[in-house]
Amino acid sequence: MAELWQTYGIWTATTLAYTLLVVVGLLLAVAYLTYAERKVMGAMQRRQGPMTVGPFGLLQPIADGLKLFSKETIIPSGANRPVFLAAPMVLFSLALVAWVVIPFDKDWVLANINVGILYLFAISSMGVYGVIMAGWASNSRYAFLGALRSASQMVSYEVSMGLIIVCVILCSGSLNLQEIVLAPRPLWMQILLFPMFIVFLISILAETNRAPFDLPEGESEITGGFMVEYSAMAFALFFLGEYANMILMSAIATTLFLGGWLPPFGLSFLAFVPGIIWFALKVCSVLFFFIWARATLPRFRYDQLMRLGWKIFLPLTLFWVILTAGVLIVFDALPG
Amino acid sequence: MIVQALAFYLFAGILTLSALMVISARNPVHSVLFLILAFFNAAGLFVLLGAEFVGLILVIVYVGAVAVLFLFVVMMLDISFSDLRKGAMQYVPIGLGIGGILLGELMIIYGGWKFAPNMSENLAAPLLRFESSSNTQSLGMILYTDYVLAFQLAGLVLFVAMVGAIVLTHRTRAGVRRQSVAEQQKRRPEDVLEIRKITSRTGV
Amino acid sequence: MISDFNLVPLLPEIFMALTGMGLLIVGVSQGNRATPVICAAAGAALSIAALVLLSLGWDAQTVMNGMFRFDEFAGFMKLLVLIGLIASLALSSRYLTQEDMARFEYPILIIFAGIGMMMMISANNFLTLYMGLELQSLSLYVLAAFQRYSVRSAEAGIKYFILGALSSGMLLFGISLIYGFSGTLDFTVLGKTIIGLEQIPIGLTIGLVFLLAGIAFKISAAPFHMWTPDVYHGAPTSVTALFAIVPKVAAFALLMRLLFQPFADMQEDWFQIIYFLSVFSMVIGAFAAIAQENLKRLMAYSSIGNMGYALIGIAAGTAQGAGAVVLYLMIYIVMTAGVFAVILHMRRQGLAVAKIDNLAGLSKTEPALAYGMLILMFSMSGIPPAAGFFGKLAIFNAAMNEGLYVLAVLGVVTSVVAAFYYLRIVKVMFFDEPADSFDKNEGSFARRVVLIVSVLFVIGFIIKPSILYECAMHAASALFTVAG
Repeated sequence: MAELWQTYGIWTATTLAYTLLVVVGLLLAVAYLTYAERKVMGAMQRRQGPMTVGPFGLLQPIADGLKLFSKETIIPSGANRPVFLAAPMVLFSLALVAWVVIPFDKDWVLANINVGILYLFAISSMGVYGVIMAGWASNSRYAFLGALRSASQMVSYEVSMGLIIVCVILCSGSLNLQEIVLAPRPLWMQILLFPMFIVFLISILAETNRAPFDLPEGESEITGGFMVEYSAMAFALFFLGEYANMILMSAIATTLFLGGWLPPFGLSFLAFVPGIIWFALKVCSVLFFFIWARATLPRFRYDQLMRLGWKIFLPLTLFWVILTAGVLIVFDALPG
Repeated sequence: MIVQALAFYLFAGILTLSALMVISARNPVHSVLFLILAFFNAAGLFVLLGAEFVGLILVIVYVGAVAVLFLFVVMMLDISFSDLRKGAMQYVPIGLGIGGILLGELMIIYGGWKFAPNMSENLAAPLLRFESSSNTQSLGMILYTDYVLAFQLAGLVLFVAMVGAIVLTHRTRAGVRRQSVAEQQKRRPEDVLEIRKITSRTGV
Repeated sequence: MISDFNLVPLLPEIFMALTGMGLLIVGVSQGNRATPVICAAAGAALSIAALVLLSLGWDAQTVMNGMFRFDEFAGFMKLLVLIGLIASLALSSRYLTQEDMARFEYPILIIFAGIGMMMMISANNFLTLYMGLELQSLSLYVLAAFQRYSVRSAEAGIKYFILGALSSGMLLFGISLIYGFSGTLDFTVLGKTIIGLEQIPIGLTIGLVFLLAGIAFKISAAPFHMWTPDVYHGAPTSVTALFAIVPKVAAFALLMRLLFQPFADMQEDWFQIIYFLSVFSMVIGAFAAIAQENLKRLMAYSSIGNMGYALIGIAAGTAQGAGAVVLYLMIYIVMTAGVFAVILHMRRQGLAVAKIDNLAGLSKTEPALAYGMLILMFSMSGIPPAAGFFGKLAIFNAAMNEGLYVLAVLGVVTSVVAAFYYLRIVKVMFFDEPADSFDKNEGSFARRVVLIVSVLFVIGFIIKPSILYECAMHAASALFTVAG
């Protein structure tokens, strides 16, 4: 038993500590993302945003959280109880477990697995279950409609996201996220991948159900969509899950396209700044894009959303996979 | 090793239990959710075997795509399993009989199992080339070289499945108004607007 | 790169796949108006594929990592499949517009089914076998349900799909046992492994049993025939014609390649199974058909019975028996195509009818059709001058040479029983009071050509039976040369 403790105990303890660090960091980030969202949108709309709780309203997210925790969880009488309660947990835990493979800095990663990108893709493709389960279990038409919308939207955009990821993998020759970041990416390759970066940014908006693709929530048509029956803690979990997913997607975009923890534009004299700072900055700029899009663009109509996904992004990304592979073959630049 | 063994029994146990729940759950949606859990544990078993690529592809394809559609259909259909089960009892003896025969056969197979004397050389033949690369890489290497014919045929099978699904379900409905972006873009004010000067109190 | 990478023997399949996809694009852009054109183009593509096939050197070779085997047997059987496909396309084109199911996917699905069948014929590996089989079955499931507003057609599609999936499951279970035993999916290696055995282990035998059960379903041999009457009855008649004509050839080719090549040394194991299937199919095909009123159902039972006769040739286990099977199948598809040309002609007031009674007095209303049907029925029942007799003769002869007297006698007896219902059709046509005549001007040119060719073949076979007999024997003997 002592030997077992020697081999596994220490490992378990350190892993637990790291995990706790990541989770706490993430929760804080989520809290202040909501704050940032309100502030940035306020600035864009010539308002001030939250100002009263704490200096510059800095304690506002904490206050919001406390309010949600202290409320009563209401379960509708017609709801399917176990599924109703499981849904927010599924959504939230999926948003958390994906972080184990994200490299924050060189070798700062909980699980440096060979197929990290596939793992991320698998986790993000499972996010849809939380939504469907919530919509179905609420036993409410609004919720069910929202869930259907959300599920078909997420499934549709996943297809083109997968193809974009294939393009990146082709260029880096590995499924390991660290190796993807470290793979040499000359200028022509960056130009080749740039259109895919744009498509990826738009797709992650749809994947996280954010404006202008926030039809699943669609408060003006279906009063909040799949979360309409949720309250208090369960609602908070959805909320946290959605924002954690936004951060996760930004981190994926950073890792795949923006060079992860490396200094921007290959400026090696900036390398004295710790990698995690660069990583955080890049994630923040993608998050800013999320908020910017929300403040700027009106909501899409449903058929327009589907049209964009299936008739424009899918053929485009499919073509780009062939193009990328073709270019790599012709110039004999296949990695690995 | 003990951790692997524990993980194996955990995955295998949940897999079996959830497979049982798939057929015994009263609510069809619960059945599908248990099916998803079963897929998930199967993927875990693959990962334990060191086949992480296959395991994750299983999750992406089955959990992420196939089961979602399944869940969709089951949620939207108004099926009551208890109604379906009403007539099922009369088939139980036949089912048990067939199951019993199959079980017996499996036991005979297990009892009298023998490998071919040259099985190991048959097996090892295609894998020798790839000893140095990771299993995802070697899978790709072998799939696109040795098994390229089967791979392409699988592509054709999926293609036919897609054509078939469209043939059997697609219908063109009359009276549907579609958005044509090209047409919208081509539209100019002068095509659709007419500006008239109207003197007051005369009407159009 | 694999050492035996060579696409030349696959040219007909590649050509068909490319044209199939090309025609699909044409169909998508032109819509269902283009269906007749696409049907014609598909027929032309299949003919070109047949020409390509003929122009290949038919020397035995194994390519694509040993997965694809091309020899004279494969070439000949593929030719039969292509001819059958062309015939069934010719039979369908007019029927599609008549029944308001002229959608452009129809000929394309036929092409893809054809690729699947050709892969089954050339399979030299369980992977290609299974992929070909699934490609074929999937296309056929969709075709069975093609008339999707008809409840019967949908039922046929679902029934065929569920039972087909079950049989594929059995097949896969069998394959997995065989793989578990031998560690290989390749037929050549498997054959060598089996030859080296002193004693056949039980696991391998049970694997073979499951494999054969799966294939027996595809050729609708009793007791795996339950789906056949319902599917034949429910599917649109042109699709029934396709089902009756082509897939059996491919499945038989597959069965023969499996049994005569890798499993040749397990003959005493598979002999009993084939024997049993054959007896059962002949008896069920003969006796269950008597009570049928519907021509499509009748043809279903007739096909079950005919598969029973063909299985006798396999049970014989010799090159002669295999040759007899090839000859039998060749005559069978030609006759069936002719019979279905007649059934497809049967329309009253714009509706398709398929009752035997509907044929009453056909000799008075449409004598040419009635005499054509008469000849086909004589041939089906195996009455001497017609081609059907020679097919049965070759089969029974091969059985007698191997001492399978019981099978041969049973075959003759069931043939006599079957003659009863074939001749009943003749009686209804020639001696019953005429019913209303069929719609005029409904027969299409292509359908007429199929009927005429079929009748001429059936009559003309006697002029020089040896030509085709030699061909069949030659093709079958390729199975018995050691794989290289």
